[in-house]
Amino acid sequence: MDSDAILSIIISQIRIVVPDLADHPIGRADAMADLGLDSIERSEIVLATLEELGLDIPMVQLHGPRNIGELADLLHAKRAG
Amino acid sequence: MPSAQGNPASIVIAGIGVAAGRSYGKQALRDVLFGEAPAISPLRRDGRQLPDGTSSFIGLELPDPPELLPARIARTAGLPGRAAIAVLDEAWREAGLEALDPARIGLVVGGSNLMAREQMLAQRDYAGRMAYWPPRHGHMFLDTDIAGLCASAFPIRGFTMSVGGASASGAVAVIQAAEAVRSGRVDACIALGALQDVSCLDLQGFQALGALAEVCRPFDRDHAGFVYGESTAALVLCRADIATEVPYGTLAGWAHLASGNRGPEPSMEGELAAIRASLAMAGLPPEDIEYVNAHATGTPLGDATELAALRAAGLDHARINATKSLIGHGLASAGAVELAATLIQMRDGRLHPTRHLDNPQDPAMGFVRGAPEERTIRTALKLSFGFGGVDTALVIREGA
Repeated sequence: MDSDAILSIIISQIRIVVPDLADHPIGRADAMADLGLDSIERSEIVLATLEELGLDIPMVQLHGPRNIGELADLLHAKRAG
Repeated sequence: MPSAQGNPASIVIAGIGVAAGRSYGKQALRDVLFGEAPAISPLRRDGRQLPDGTSSFIGLELPDPPELLPARIARTAGLPGRAAIAVLDEAWREAGLEALDPARIGLVVGGSNLMAREQMLAQRDYAGRMAYWPPRHGHMFLDTDIAGLCASAFPIRGFTMSVGGASASGAVAVIQAAEAVRSGRVDACIALGALQDVSCLDLQGFQALGALAEVCRPFDRDHAGFVYGESTAALVLCRADIATEVPYGTLAGWAHLASGNRGPEPSMEGELAAIRASLAMAGLPPEDIEYVNAHATGTPLGDATELAALRAAGLDHARINATKSLIGHGLASAGAVELAATLIQMRDGRLHPTRHLDNPQDPAMGFVRGAPEERTIRTALKLSFGFGGVDTALVIREGA
């Protein structure tokens, strides 16, 4: 699974948690906070994505990405690593 | 003692929102009170059947609440929260609360452990993968989450809180709301009897206590226990001078006492003390009470104790009915829902029959049974009791 496939999982989780964004274009450069997601919603999306990827890593290791593209890259690296 | 200035804080009920019996809204409750058959059936909601299939439970379940919340909020709200929004919306509009300063509006949610079924389902769904437990479960299990949800959807900024009083929680919420208005803390306060979303474990606990029956027959010689029924109600209490429409009635007296019992056993002394204290606050002798909406769960000891308290209080003459015989026992919500039923009966000038009351325990008492009874009620007493020795009594007078 490449970073784009991980990005698709993140985007589909965003659309589950925030149904209003169903038809809103979402791409690599978008940050969840800029899309209007609060911290609880952001955590829920990250946890659900980790589960889909079969990753069990502490949330603290996922600080840093400035947008969902970078988050997808980081998760891709964790998965590979 | 009566104040020299009269009663500056006469408290009226200016709006009612309710879901009980078959559906949402006051008309749906009226339909069940005055003729339509209750929708009693095996409980079907996920989490209300024992997983091993050894027990199934009978009761009343409401349809899904009307979709008033954005989908994003609704998916995290749970059944008690979504139902609370529906009844609050009905009460809010009727009372015209949009005209008030949000800082002068309060909310008391009556009930505790309201989300038991959703918690149990989440535990089942995440068994073996707790690392992915959604973070919303860190706050939505709290009863105050329902208060917060309501205040995020409606302009309530005076205060919010939740109070517990077991099966008297709804009445305790009414009393706390009345105290908040009387003290001047707010001008209007909503008392919400929250929907108690029981799990199969809660139901099995009632079963083990011997409190559950397949048919609820309050005050009947063949009674055996209660039937669970989903319900919820919101009542807007406010100072009489705030009410814009003709109010449902005045909350003239109230009492909330402890009998000193820990468990489910009722206390005649505690119930009698609450009745007497509420009448004293209202300044009414017992002979002036025309109608009693009884707690009346249908459990033999509970009913017998309540009748003994009513007789000792000098209320043998009053008309009596038991709303739980029609809509089941909502547990946390019961006191608020049954106060709504009391006020609706007073407004309509008719009393509902007590269903399944075929062989009264005490034929000398004034039970309403068989068919609805046309009757003007000027004063009523609403009783609610809860496990843990919670005894409440509310006195309602017609008019403002």
